[in-house]
Amino acid sequence: MSSLSAFGRFELARLLRSWKFLAVTVGFPVIFYMLFLNDRTPGKVVGGTVAWRVYLMVSMCSFGALVAGLNAGGTRLSGERATGWARQLRVTPLPAWSYVATKVTASMLVILPVLIVVEVVGAAFGGVRLGVATWVELTLLMWVAALPFAVLGVFVGFMVHPETAYPVITVLMFVLGYFGGLFTPVSHMPPFLQTAAQVLPSFNHASLGLALLDGSGLSAGHWLVLAAYAAALGVIIIWRHRVEESRGLA
Amino acid sequence: MSSGFPARIGPPRHLSEVPREASAGDPGAVDGLRALRFADVVYRYGDKLALDHLNLEVARGEMLAVLGPNGAGKSTTMAVLLGLLHPRSGSVEVLGTSPRQAMADGRVGAMLQQVSGSGLPPGVRVGAVVNMVRRLYRRPAPLEVTVERTGIGPLLNRQTNRLSGGEAQRVRFAIAIAGNPELVFLDEPTAAMDVEARRVFWRIIRQLGREGHTVVFATHHMDEAEHADRVVVINRGRVVADGPTATLKAAVTTRRLRFVAEGADVSVLDKLVGVTDVEVRGTGVVLNSLDADATVRDLVRRNVTFCDLEVTGARLEEAFVALTGDEPAPEETR
Repeated sequence: MSSLSAFGRFELARLLRSWKFLAVTVGFPVIFYMLFLNDRTPGKVVGGTVAWRVYLMVSMCSFGALVAGLNAGGTRLSGERATGWARQLRVTPLPAWSYVATKVTASMLVILPVLIVVEVVGAAFGGVRLGVATWVELTLLMWVAALPFAVLGVFVGFMVHPETAYPVITVLMFVLGYFGGLFTPVSHMPPFLQTAAQVLPSFNHASLGLALLDGSGLSAGHWLVLAAYAAALGVIIIWRHRVEESRGLA
Repeated sequence: MSSGFPARIGPPRHLSEVPREASAGDPGAVDGLRALRFADVVYRYGDKLALDHLNLEVARGEMLAVLGPNGAGKSTTMAVLLGLLHPRSGSVEVLGTSPRQAMADGRVGAMLQQVSGSGLPPGVRVGAVVNMVRRLYRRPAPLEVTVERTGIGPLLNRQTNRLSGGEAQRVRFAIAIAGNPELVFLDEPTAAMDVEARRVFWRIIRQLGREGHTVVFATHHMDEAEHADRVVVINRGRVVADGPTATLKAAVTTRRLRFVAEGADVSVLDKLVGVTDVEVRGTGVVLNSLDADATVRDLVRRNVTFCDLEVTGARLEEAFVALTGDEPAPEETR
């Protein structure tokens, strides 16, 4: 256990020292919220039963979690794999699973403050009004449900070379963001895109938040899709970590 | 080559101490003596055979050099011993258990061959990295000891991405020994080091050996193998020679003849009895011969006028060529 905490503290210290990365991660969803807020009438009900100002805040929470997960995992991880550090760690007593678990945990720890900042901006500039209990509930819900984003970032870090990590992350950010209905409600899209959105983690993540606020109940389907992403990507990551670090030793 | 080179030059010491039958039947009985054991290990990359029924045992406290050209199977051997690769058949035992278990128990430290990059995480201070790795082990060496030993004191506050190749290598060496492991693996450890750094490095390694650590290192530098107690030469996935370093050198009968001759005819020198290699630079001649006496007699018989004759033993380099039948690999790592 002491070995786990040694590596955990080391990773957390590294993450907190990269202020530039944290600023960009928080900046993206906040700027988009301010930019898009007046695209429509903030009070107009969209995509169901919530006002645009609320819809956009929940969407930007999802987008912020996505961006944070992709950046915390993707860019940084693919960089340290390229230097051979990940391989070096494989020849220490640190278990492979705990390396991956620590990376995912660190991403989750970055996602939480991003959600809170977006919510504060939603309340302060968007005029979103919720009860204290609902704020807390929303935050925890969006945070727990963000696990597949944390795993996705680590997945990208494992699969992509550092030179291609940035473009891949950018594409994922906007593809998952747009087609997941984070910028425009899915109900405003053509039917086949509406169907496609059902299998995207971004759509299911935002849907959980919206369902909490419009009182329609958290559907098991959304949880199922999110859990499936986290599990499937997690399995591939562990397999990849075990197999890959032994390559290049021939 | 007429006498042929023995595949095994005398029994390795630990095998004369422990009968092979006993070790196969009752592994517990020899755990105290054995650091690692390879029995009939086969490993393939696709259809390329990397380890071809490799057998190898190393006693505790021994310092072993694994020598061979690039692609001979040295790094594959290392990867199997580190639990990174799993052989198709045969058994591998490290410190009386599986490679992975020995690693998880913090009894093994390793310095891997660096293909590209520093082998260190970017954007962190060197001290933080070494200390973190140290704390992954159960019975680590005090940080000051590792720092002093590897001479990384001046690097501790530097960022890992601001190190030269040689400095990064020293840090990776510190990482390999920070946990005070019983068994240390080093794959081409001095690739990026300058002459002085190498000298210091081998002094530390010999010190580790004296303290009872088992050290296994792979190299294709013949002169580095001479730091070991024992040398195993691997080629095409098999052990082609195994013995104490001195024995290995002595076993090779190649001698080097140097002399001065005016207008020496290469075609004549080439036909001399026993000669395997001829080099003429101005009036200086260097011959490699498998039978120095016969070559000298032949020189006289053919009326080649020579002076300042000097006969020296072969360096390990020639021994290596003779044993593997290959040229030593070019040094692509520098």
